[in-house]
Parts: sequence; structure tokens; C-alpha cells
Amino acid sequence: MKSIFSLKTLYSIVYFVGSMVILLLIWSLVSAITKNEIPGPIATWSVFFEMLKDPFYDYGPNDKGIGIQLWSSIKRVMMGFGLGSLLAIPLGMLMGGSKFTMNLLNPLIQVLRPVSPLAWFPLGLLAFKASEGATIFIIAITSLWPTLINTAFGVSSIPDDHKNVGKAFGFSRWKYITKILIPFALPHIITGLRLAIGVAWMVIVAGEMLSGGVGIGFFVWDSWNGLSLEKILSAILIIGFVGLLLDKFFNGLQNYFAYENKK
Amino acid sequence: MITELENEILIEKKAETSNCISVKNVTISFKTNGKGTFTAVKDIDLDIKKGEIVSIIGHSGCGKSTLMNSISGMVKPTSGEVTVNGNKVTGPGPDRGIVFQNYSLLPWMTVYRNVYEAVDSVLKDKSAAEKKEIVEYNLKMVNLLQHKDKLPSQLSGGMKQRTAIARAFAINPSVLLLDEPFGALDALTKGSMHVELLKIWNLNKRQQTIVMVTHDIEEAIFLSDRVVVMNDGPEATIREIVNINIARPRNKKDIVHLPEYMKVHDKLLSLLVKNLSIDDVIFE
Ligand SMILES: Nc1ncnc2c1ncn2[C@@H]1O[C@H](COP(=O)(O)OP(=O)(O)O)[C@@H](O)[C@H]1O
Ligand SMILES: [Mg+2]
Repeated sequence: MKSIFSLKTLYSIVYFVGSMVILLLIWSLVSAITKNEIPGPIATWSVFFEMLKDPFYDYGPNDKGIGIQLWSSIKRVMMGFGLGSLLAIPLGMLMGGSKFTMNLLNPLIQVLRPVSPLAWFPLGLLAFKASEGATIFIIAITSLWPTLINTAFGVSSIPDDHKNVGKAFGFSRWKYITKILIPFALPHIITGLRLAIGVAWMVIVAGEMLSGGVGIGFFVWDSWNGLSLEKILSAILIIGFVGLLLDKFFNGLQNYFAYENKK
Repeated sequence: MITELENEILIEKKAETSNCISVKNVTISFKTNGKGTFTAVKDIDLDIKKGEIVSIIGHSGCGKSTLMNSISGMVKPTSGEVTVNGNKVTGPGPDRGIVFQNYSLLPWMTVYRNVYEAVDSVLKDKSAAEKKEIVEYNLKMVNLLQHKDKLPSQLSGGMKQRTAIARAFAINPSVLLLDEPFGALDALTKGSMHVELLKIWNLNKRQQTIVMVTHDIEEAIFLSDRVVVMNDGPEATIREIVNINIARPRNKKDIVHLPEYMKVHDKLLSLLVKNLSIDDVIFE
């Protein structure tokens, strides 16, 4: 039987705490150097604590609790990320499965991939006539690339040994896709999704600063206008920790689907 | 109207007169890393009758697998052609069951699933219960039923090989192509697999054609009607085809004392091994 608190988990907890201590030290130092123009951990903590006390209050369109802000951001990220992935996975399979599609689409990807989410925003506004749609659009279009590229790579690297099984036993196209292609490419696809959710979570803040309304990005902007640096720092911490949790979740998926002995 | 019996006779007649597998003037070259080509086998002619068991024997790297793969359709001949049951081979097909040299199991599926997916793909018309029965029958035959829920990574080399054998047998193909099928097995398991192979062949009224690559002279003699000895590559050709005129059913213990056995054994040995005694090696 494996105990839940194995030595390894204990170590990783110790390291995590160590890391956080370093963060707090640097933060305090910067705060001291700027003569508290940038608030220190303790000043931030009291504001943060106030925010957490009632995270779901709703006093009208411009005054909502941090929980509501965060939740609407997560919903938006999931929408954009989901739509992007729904496009990226089949397209990636198509590219990985055929040299022709790969060669045809690769230059297109190379050109579109480096475009900043901010540059896409006006196009999104034009297309969807609403900032909500535009935000989801820029998340989708900037987060789909890692999934697309990793899926294509995974599918194109299926070993001949596995393909030969399908050929020798006359697998139908459907059986080939479900029993050989997807199982082999799945770890690669999940790696892509893990990178993609990271991108999506980064883009949401920028998107919401432009779009306004509700959301963690809007909250940061609003706090800047209200000159509450404590709130901004709290929001930064929250953004960081939610990002960490999202990454951990996909890391867990990755480990779950990484079968032994891929030879 | 043709009765079933008449039909069977007709089929038998046809089988007697026509070759099941016909390799005509086949040369196979591979592109090498640079711009050159490497010719593995050259000008191979080989006719195999329906129901025959033929072994291909030769030194490692001489092109045995390459020749097999041209019959299975995994490799296209550079020139020449292969026909199976009168049809030109253009790719693999379920009329030919293959045991790959490296087993080629799908690592994310259990032993049972590996066999089941092949059966499900080839024997589409069977019911789920029938397919299950076929899979379990074949796994039992190779003594793997109690390991059916294991993944390939949890199996020994011999167990992987037996899974691959069960998979090829389960689709009941008219031609079985076995590339060193018993190579990773210990002597005891190997012996019982030989018997199982012949049992299946007998059950199918000796109508199944079997081509097998092997390193093992005793195995080749025990199982085969003919043994194809290949020259070393590159541009390997057939050195000689040796007939094994030993009546079936053969008994492993008894046949070794037959003069015919000793004769073909010596012959195969001298075809394969150049230096028969240590003296030759030292004083050459
Ligand atoms: N796909 C390939 N590309 C290049 N060379 C190959 C390929 N397959 C086989 N060969 C070469 O052809 C020769 C015969 O290989 P193979 O048929 O596997 O030998 P055997 O099965 O008799 O050991 C070897 O020299 C091998 O390197
Ligand atoms: Mg070989």
C-alpha cells in the first residue's frame, strides 16, 4: 500500500514552501526599497483577507466580489480553450496524418502563431459585435497552436510497427483512428492542451482589460484606476495560483495517460 | 446445382493445379540514407502450393524478413511480382495472417484486446459472443488465457510472441506468414507450439499454407515440406530448396533416427555453416 504522504510528496511540499519564502523575501525587499509605494506582503494580506471574506458579493455591474470575477474569467477561458481545442485536435490529426496537409498548412501556422492576442481583438469585435465574443475569440485563436502542433507531431510519429498492425488486420479507418491513432497520440495531445491552457490563462487578463465588464483582468484594471495596489497584487497572486492549479490538473491527466513502455 | 461435396472437389482440383503463393523474379531495393540504394534480395523465384509448409532459413540480415514482407504486402517489390491465390499482392490483407518478427502488439491494449481487435476487424459478420469465443480459444491454445488482462509491457518476450501467434491464428487466414515466430521461446514452449501449429493445420484439413522464417534447422525439418536456404546479402538469392521427404504425421522423437532426417540435416547444416570443424577455423 502506498501512503498518501510519501517521502516524495513531503519533499515537494518542503520545496514549495521554500519557494514561497523566497518570493515573500524578494517582495518585502522591493517594497522596502520603494518605501512602501509597492505594498509589502503584510499590507497586501489584510486587503486580500478582506477580499476573501465575501468573495461573491454583487453590488452592481462595477462592484463584484473576487469570486464572481474569477469564476467569470474561468468560464471564458474554458469556452475559448474548448473551442480552440475542438478545432486544433481534428486539424492536428489531419496534418499529422498527411504530408500534403502538413506542408500546405504549416506556413500558415507559422505566420499566424506569433500574432499577439491584442492584435486579434479588433477583428474579434468586428466579427462578434460584442466584447464577450471577442475575448473568447482571442483566447481560442491564441491557445489552439500548441494543441495543433503537438497533435500533428504525435500523429505523424506513430511507429510503422503500430501502423502495420492496422494494415495486416485490415482495420477500418474508424478502428485505426480509435484504436491506434488516438491512443498513441493522446499523451502528445494532452501535452498540447497543457501548454494551451497556460496560454489561455495568460491571454484572459489582457482580453478582459480591453473588454471590461466582469473578470479577473478587468478587476486588475479597475483596481489600478482605484489606485489599490494591494488589490492588484492580490489579483496577481490569485492569477498565479489558479494558473498553477490548471497546470497541475493537466499534468495529472498527462501522467494518467502516459502508459508504460511506449515501444 | 453444385452440391457442397462437388464444390469441395472442384476447389481441391483447382488447388492441386495452381500455386497458392507465387513469387516471380522479385528484386527488392531500399533507399539508403544517401542517394544510393541497397538491394536486399534479387531475382527471387518461389512457388508454394496450397497447404504446403515452407521454411525460409538463412543468416541474419540476408533478407528473409524482406522476402516475407513482399508476400504479406508490407514491402513492395522493386521489380517482379508476388501473387497469392491468383491475385497480385498490392498490400496486406486479412487472407494472410502475419506474425511479425518484433511481435507488433499495441502497447495500450491488453493481451485479450490485441487479439480481439484483429478478430473484430476481420471476422465482421460474427456475433460478439462468437468473437469472444474465438479469442479465448486461441489464447487458450497459446496458454495465455490466465494472462489475458495483462498489458504487453507486463509480458515476457515469449508471451508477447505467443500473443502475436494467437492473433494471427484467430483470424483463420488461408495463408500464415510467420517471421521467426518461435525465436523467443524456451525449448519446452517451442516444442508444444510446434505441435499446436501442426494441430491447427490438420484441423484445417491441411489446406492452410504456411510460410515461416526460422534460424532453427531442427524446427525447419520437423515442420516443413520444403526448406528454402538463402544466400547471404546484399543481393541475396535462393541458394537451394531442400525437400523434406518425411511422412506425416511426424513424431519429433522418432524422426531424428530416420536416414532421411540425418541426410537433410547434414545438407542444411553444410549449406548454412561454412566451417564445420574447429580445425578449419584455426588453420585456414
Ligand atoms: N526498410 C529498410 N530500409 C533499408 N534497409 C533495409 C530495410 N529493411 C531491411 N533492410 C536491409 O535489408 C537486409 C535484409 O534485412 P532483413 O530482411 O530484415 O533480414 P533478415 O530477416 O534475414 O535478418 C538487411 O541488410 C537490412 O539492413
Ligand atoms: Mg528478419
